[in-house]
Amino acid sequence: MKWAAILGITVILVLMAMYEWPKMDKKMKKEKSAFVAITIIGWLLAMLLVFFPDMPGPTQLVDAIYKPLGKLLEK
Amino acid sequence: MIEKGKISAYQMGILMFPTILATALLFVPSITAQHAERDLWLSPIWASSIGFFIVYIVYQLNKLYPEMSIIEYSTHIIGRIPGKLIGLVYIVFYLHVNGIVIREYGEFVVSSSLITTPLVILLGSMVLVCAFAVRGGVEVLGRCAQIFMPGVTLLFLLLIVLLIPDLHSNNMFPMMEHGLKPSILGSIVPQGWLSEFMLTSFLFPFLSDREKGMKWGMISVVAVMLLMVLTNFAILFLFGGITGDLVYPVMTAAKYISLAGFFEHLESIVMAIWVASAFVKISVFYYVIVLGTAQWLNLSDYRPLVLPIGFILLLFSLWAAPNLQELTHFLGTSSTFYFVSVQVGIPLLLLSITLVKGEKK
Repeated sequence: MKWAAILGITVILVLMAMYEWPKMDKKMKKEKSAFVAITIIGWLLAMLLVFFPDMPGPTQLVDAIYKPLGKLLEK
Repeated sequence: MIEKGKISAYQMGILMFPTILATALLFVPSITAQHAERDLWLSPIWASSIGFFIVYIVYQLNKLYPEMSIIEYSTHIIGRIPGKLIGLVYIVFYLHVNGIVIREYGEFVVSSSLITTPLVILLGSMVLVCAFAVRGGVEVLGRCAQIFMPGVTLLFLLLIVLLIPDLHSNNMFPMMEHGLKPSILGSIVPQGWLSEFMLTSFLFPFLSDREKGMKWGMISVVAVMLLMVLTNFAILFLFGGITGDLVYPVMTAAKYISLAGFFEHLESIVMAIWVASAFVKISVFYYVIVLGTAQWLNLSDYRPLVLPIGFILLLFSLWAAPNLQELTHFLGTSSTFYFVSVQVGIPLLLLSITLVKGEKK
């Protein structure tokens, strides 16, 4: 099942790149590298979430930082 | 500049209106009611002060750096590396917040109408629709808001009018039984929502009539406050003391409507209001993230980034919280301090640094 998810995610990202790549000018090197970098970050994050779905997220991090203040509103 | 489109100050005001209200109308009344109880109608009035404050700060910063957003002028104010760090904080912050917004949208639709649809399909389709709007640029967003918002507001007012036979105004008495403290405590969470007026910092550089920007920003805050007060009144008059226990009070109120035995099941109207305004809200946040990333990396165009960032947004929305209960708990407790410290604290710091620097010269 996990392999199917990985395959699906990769297909989506490849389709995205195929749609976007021809629209970029040859001169736009910086844009292309930004596109590739963000796509790779997305792919890595997706892989992490496929294998560790219960990984603590940004919400837990923020919650840990602001806990003393958040307690004011605890009910 | 990256964005070539222009919007009017009026369009900015109407764009910010659903950006605050979309989720505020669904989640905030019950969270406010848990603290303020019968005084919950007072809380948005206290909370709006932060909206006026942030619009004023952003306007002052924009007067100093008219063609730039906060991501660009932060490098001018405090130097290259700290400025870039602040820019990164904003990008990650808005990714996270927008992830939460998309998740709220998905959870609401799943729990209220499309019960058997997988969550990820709803989230993904919303992100895709918003991606097309964001690709169109700021003008398209302005027009979308102009088309949707009058209808949405009218439908919402219609809902409240239809509830009038069931409203009992004696639910609001005794007023301020325990003094002002409960209503001020209840205003903390709406403050987090109103601090989202910080997003105007990204829209100010594209205004065709910038001198009116502050006026329309303020009008937008007033409109948001009035509609929140009206909603809280309607809900308080309808439910009285049990408001704090409901997850979606507005939805429950709409289910309650029954006129002459045939005018029933109006929750589809709430759904229409919600989907249209959530679309505008998510698009504005999404646009700000994409534009901010392009400005942060000094790119010449933001359009190539729309789809990959949309994919990351989808991941953040799934990652934001394991379930709705934890999400609502987060929104009711630490989220406000997080929203306010990033969206009000940092601009205030930047403005005070520019003022001090200006005096030295």
